[in-house]
Amino acid sequence: MKMKNHKKALLSVALLAIANMAATGVASAASPAGVPRFADGKIRLDRVPGEKGYWDNPSATSLVEKGVNVAFEPNGKLKNIADAGKVAPFQPWALALYKYRQQNNFVDDPMKVCIGPGNPRQMMTPGGVRFIQDNNYKRMYMIFGGGNHNWRTIYMDGRDPPNAEEVNGTFLGLAVGKWEGDTLVSTSTGFNTRFWMSNGGLPHTEGLTLTERFKRVSKDTLDYEVTIDDPRTYTRPWKAGWTLRWVAGDIPEQFCENGRE
Amino acid sequence: MRGLYAAFLLVAATASVAQEGFPLDGTWRSESTAKDGSHRTIVLVMQWDGKSVTGTINPGPKGIDFTGGTLNPDGWKFTLDVKNAKGGPVHFEGTISNLGKYNRAVAGKWTDAAGTIDAKFVHE
Repeated sequence: MKMKNHKKALLSVALLAIANMAATGVASAASPAGVPRFADGKIRLDRVPGEKGYWDNPSATSLVEKGVNVAFEPNGKLKNIADAGKVAPFQPWALALYKYRQQNNFVDDPMKVCIGPGNPRQMMTPGGVRFIQDNNYKRMYMIFGGGNHNWRTIYMDGRDPPNAEEVNGTFLGLAVGKWEGDTLVSTSTGFNTRFWMSNGGLPHTEGLTLTERFKRVSKDTLDYEVTIDDPRTYTRPWKAGWTLRWVAGDIPEQFCENGRE
Repeated sequence: MRGLYAAFLLVAATASVAQEGFPLDGTWRSESTAKDGSHRTIVLVMQWDGKSVTGTINPGPKGIDFTGGTLNPDGWKFTLDVKNAKGGPVHFEGTISNLGKYNRAVAGKWTDAAGTIDAKFVHE
């Protein structure tokens, strides 16, 4: 009888623990192994207290539509310019401008004068990325060691993205974010056109909307996916994606001066 | 404060050489001399709506709105055919140069009621 009660008690404790884990997401069956979480179950995209580390070593060096197989130099230059039309679903003017930029060795690349990379380019510019999750003010800050060492803010308070027609466009746009399970989804609008969003020179207009998805699939791997929607530049929305690796230590100091880092 | 000022100057200087997206967006100005020696200033304000180039010639009380400008990226030829307030034709056909620069230009022949001139519109 005693044993029966003991088993019941153990079962109850186990069920309670499972229910609690399901509610908070802590160590649930679907939780990637070793991925740190906050007390409320949300994924930590950044370091835990006492740890040093950041994201770097992007697996891609240029922006290209998922599933398309074309070869690039590390600086984003196509190995074969005849592949230009495969990179993304360009409008005719955009393809012509992309080819122009490719063929003149990116002399007009804004990064040469220390203008920061556009959002997807930030995620593939070596130098380091960190996510500072401000849960009190419901904001996410992303800080970047590469390029001109900029940061951007993702508002997590449920606000709507701004109407791009009603705001002065900025280099990084205005981003609103939400969690879809363990994936941070950020939607940015309200861009200007004075930056390049890829090192290969992919064009865009003020009509650009970027939807970025960040998912820490393991302790050391961050999946990144971006959807590019700019009907003035591309015939349909398209996606690209790559991974970043967790690197121990602090983002190294570097400074952008006269376009040289 | 001095640092802030320096940062502002740096941003202003660097922004002036960055390239924009659609190459015809923005304000363009042509300063030219007609055959009779008179000086002509023409200002174009243009936008790209994803289908065609729209805008205004000489914005102001006598500005002429247009909707049918075209850009052929094969050679970067820009063409404009508009009717002025009296129904007279205004025609421009030019080619973009310095495509990658902020102060790129469109040079070509401008024809309206005052005659035909060589016009070079510089992006402002």
